[in-house]
Formats: sequence, C-alpha cells, structure tokens
Amino acid sequence: MTASSALPVSLLVPWAAGAVLIVLDGRRRWVAWGGVAALVATLLVLLALTVQVVGQGTQQVVTGGWPPGVGIVLRADALGVTFALVSVLVLLAALTHEAVTTPRVPAFPGLVVLLAAGLTGLFLTGDVFNFYVFFEVSMTASYGLAAYGGGADQLRAALFFAAVNLLGSFIFLIAVAGTYHLTGALSMADVAQRISTADSNAALLVAVGFFVAFSVKLGLFPFHSWLPTVYAGASPAVAAILSGAVANIGGYGLLRFGSGLFPAQLRLTATGLIVLGAASIVYGAVLATSRKSMAEMLAYSAIGQVGYILVAVGLGGPVGLEAAVLYSVVNALNKGLLFLTSGVRGPLVAGAFAIGALSVAGVPPAIGFLGKLELFRAAIVANSPALVVLFVAGSVLSLLYLFRVYQRTYWQPEGGDDGSVSGLPVRALAWALAVVVVGIGLWPQPLLMLSERAAHALSGGAA
Amino acid sequence: MNLAFASAAAVLFGGGAFLLLQRDLLRIVAGVALISQAATLTLIGVSRSRGQAPIAPEADLPVSDPLPQALTLTALVIGLATLALLLSMVDRLVVVFDTAYQQPVPDEEEDQQEDQEADQQPDQEADQEADQMADQKAVRTAGEDQHRQRAEEQPP
Repeated sequence: MTASSALPVSLLVPWAAGAVLIVLDGRRRWVAWGGVAALVATLLVLLALTVQVVGQGTQQVVTGGWPPGVGIVLRADALGVTFALVSVLVLLAALTHEAVTTPRVPAFPGLVVLLAAGLTGLFLTGDVFNFYVFFEVSMTASYGLAAYGGGADQLRAALFFAAVNLLGSFIFLIAVAGTYHLTGALSMADVAQRISTADSNAALLVAVGFFVAFSVKLGLFPFHSWLPTVYAGASPAVAAILSGAVANIGGYGLLRFGSGLFPAQLRLTATGLIVLGAASIVYGAVLATSRKSMAEMLAYSAIGQVGYILVAVGLGGPVGLEAAVLYSVVNALNKGLLFLTSGVRGPLVAGAFAIGALSVAGVPPAIGFLGKLELFRAAIVANSPALVVLFVAGSVLSLLYLFRVYQRTYWQPEGGDDGSVSGLPVRALAWALAVVVVGIGLWPQPLLMLSERAAHALSGGAA
Repeated sequence: MNLAFASAAAVLFGGGAFLLLQRDLLRIVAGVALISQAATLTLIGVSRSRGQAPIAPEADLPVSDPLPQALTLTALVIGLATLALLLSMVDRLVVVFDTAYQQPVPDEEEDQQEDQEADQQPDQEADQEADQMADQKAVRTAGEDQHRQRAEEQPP
C-alpha cells in the first residue's frame, strides 16, 4: 500500500460497506457478520495507516487532485489515527456483541458501519467544514442507534438525545461560520496560522462556541442533561458505542480545536476548564455512588470520567496533552468493556467486569493505571496539590461505586442475576475485551508512543 | 446590513431555543429547524462578498467568494435530513404513546430509579400490561419488551 492510498481507503471501506449493509436486513446473521468483516477491514487499513504515520510522519491527501487551499485536505497524524483506531475497535466489539446474539433491528449493522465511516472521516480530516459534515454523518447514525430496540424508553431517550445534540451541532456550525469570517480559511493548518492575528475577542467567542459543541458530545458536567437518560435507556451495545466511540468526538474536538487551533484562547480559559472538569469529576462520581442500577451508575461514571480529560486539556503542555490523549483512549476502552459486560451473565463474567472496574479506578496492570499515572504526572508538573487530591478522591470514589454495583449484581442471588447464563460467544467477547484492557496495560509502549506523538503534533502547531 | 443579519439570526436562534424547551414534540422539531436556519443565516451573513459570479470571471474585476454558498447548501441539505429523521422519530413516538407531548424526562429517570429499588414483581406486571396495550396500538417491531429486558440486563 503506497503512502497516499491508505488514507482514502480507510474512509472508503466503511462508507461503501455501510451503504450496502444499510439496505440489507441486519437481522440475518450473515449481514451482521458482514458488518463485522467491514469493521475488521477498516481496522486493518487504519493499522497500516498508523504504521505509515509513525514511520513517515503525517500523511496528507488533497481530495480530487485539487491544489491545496482549494480541495478538501485529508490529514492523518498521530492524534487522528489514535482516536480512529480506538473508536473502530469499540464499534467492532459492540457489533460483534450484537452479531453473536443477532440484532433485533434491520438497520443496526449498517448504522454501526456508517458510524465508523463518519468517525474515521472526522478524525482524519484536515478541514473544519469537512469535520462538520463527518460530524453530522456520525451523529445521524448515532441518533438512529439510540432508538435501537424501538421500545418506548429508547424512542423517548433518542428524541431527547437528537434534539440536544442537534443544538450542539448547530452551535458548532455557527462557530465554523465565525472561524471562516475571522480567518478566511477552513483548512485547519491555515486557521491555526491565521487565528493569532484575528480579533482576540471574536476568536474567544468562536472558541467558546466550539467548546460548548464538544462538551455537549462529551457530556461534561453543565452539558450532561441528555446523558443519563440515553445511556441508561439504551441496550448495552448501544451504550458502549455511544460512550466508547461517539463520545470520542468530544475529546478529539477539545484537543484538536482547543490545543490545535485556538491555543491562545485555551491558555486564557485554562483555569475555567480545570474547574469545570473538576466539577464534572466530583458530580459524576458522587451521583454514580448514589445510583443502584448498573446502567445509571455507568452513565454517571461516564460524566465523571470525561472530566479527567477536560482537566488534562486545561493543564496543557506536552505532559497534559499526552495525558488527555491517553485518558481518552483508556476511557473509551474501559467504557466499552464495562457497558458490554454489564448485560452478560455467567461463569467468569464477573471477573471481566472487575477488570474493567479496576481499570477505571486505575489499578495496575490494567490500562487505566497508565491513564491515571499520566494524569498524576500532569498534575505534579503543573505543581498543583489540589488536583492530585482531586484525582485520588475521584479514583477512590470510582472504586467505591463500581464495587458496590459489582457486589449487588454478581454476589447477591436476587441482584439481577436470575441464574440464567449468557451464551459462550458473548462471554468470550467480554473476556477478549478484558484481555485487551490488561494486555495494553502490560505492554503500553505502542500506546504511550502514539499519545506522545499526538501531543507533540498538537503542541507543535499544525506540523 | 451586518446588524440585520445578526439580529435576524439571533431572533431565529432565540425562537428556536424557546420552542426546544416546550413539551409539544412538534414544537421541539420546529425549534431545531429554526436553529438550523439561524446557523445557515450566520454562514451567509459572516461571509458576504461582492463581485462577479465565480464562473469564468473577467480578469481585472473582483470575484465574489463561492465557498460560503457551497457551505450553506451543504448545511441546508444536512438540516433537511436531520429534520426528516426527527419527524420520523416523533411519528414513532406518537404511535407508541398516542400523544404528541414529551414526558418530563427527569421525572421518568426518578421513576426508573424507584422501579428498580422496589421489588420488581408488581411493576413488571404493570409494565407488561402497558406493553401489551402499546402492542395493540400497532407497535411494529419486536423490541417492545425492552423495558423489562433492560431491567434484567439479559440478552436473549
């Protein structure tokens, strides 16, 4: 595969496969497995692309052979491929989970593969408006997924989800309009260059617009109202998709737009971001502790976990950014594992859930330890004892709420465990995910290297 | 002129936000539609430029910027698609609930919490009845037992 072909192919594969799958009946087994195959192919192309990015630096393709500045730029750097890889991995796990139990809605495999197309495009584009288009592709697919199951609760939650997130999308669009007005450019590289000479008040306003839009996606504390209803109402696979893949849009957006395009505005508001992130951590952890059902606990836990990402973005600097990238990846994998395992019962499944819980709390050798370690490093580099205390308190609370639910679900005979056992494939999948979570924790060099390069790409401006 | 664009966009956004907070589902959809128009208007308003049409312009005269038009068209198409999706969701909700009013969601969340705290037997039966009634109102998919299924976290 030559240097220029892996990037477009990684967008083409899920898009073409999704377009075919969406018209087929996804309740048939072979269609669902076709979706799994498409995602595996996407993952392989992305891996090839990652190898290229690591070996040869940032890959760039201008679509349609136009000169740069006219055509839309597709760019793959370490940050983009890291997020694309982890998102497609979570989507793959969720779709496999549904494929072995047979999806109940015809459009499910097609929607998941189209979501993969949207997310891959969004992480690999170098153009602000193109980002918006892929953003809408992914969000439209996830509105459909949120209604998955077709029950009354899902529909109600999906409508709420769609209305709130469409509001976020249009705020994003208005911010894109502002960016174009300020810089006369839409290519991220040009915007990053020209924004420093733009009117600083207007630039701050635009940056706030982007921040609000991404915070809604991420479900940060003041923008989280949609999150518990949707996560708790959705089936485990959909909740895993929303929190493990779709929420990555928010984390990536904060990093790319905050640190990459508006670094001056980010520095100006850093304290505010850290305070919001801290509020998110405390709010999520305390409410998660007060919840008794597994799904709601995980939903509030998700609000708390994204707070860490915001704090790390606010801390900034190479260490802070590296921590933010790493923690986004860790959080996506943890949430994917926990949500998918939450619906499974049977021998050894509790062990997989416990591994996820320990990972969230940051106990080695699980992958969460790496994330927490980097966060602590960032807090110490920033010379902030208050943040160290906050991280410790957050971790202790997460251990508390996860194991309270763990006890209630797996140890009490009447706690949702009615003695029935899930099929072997579903349990095997839960274990495979747990092995991934521990495996990356035991051999963290590739992930550390990727997130370091991603932070470097961000702090080095557009390069 | 800028002021006119700005105030029109502000009025559209404000009206949309107000409608979005209503309980009538169709008003929520209308609110989203108005906000999408506010965004479109902002796109046009912030990038107005005078000049010739950008197809085969004469060399020495200024050319108007074609990019905002392309962006606006794309945004309109996306807005149309999302609107259609929202309307189809409302349609399904009306079929399932037989009402076009949004139930207050926080309350519902509390209800769920209480449901799960209480011993589940009586609730389950009530749910089943409700589901069956919804069934008779032509719920077409096989997902009607989702509520109970989720309470038990048990895939088939």
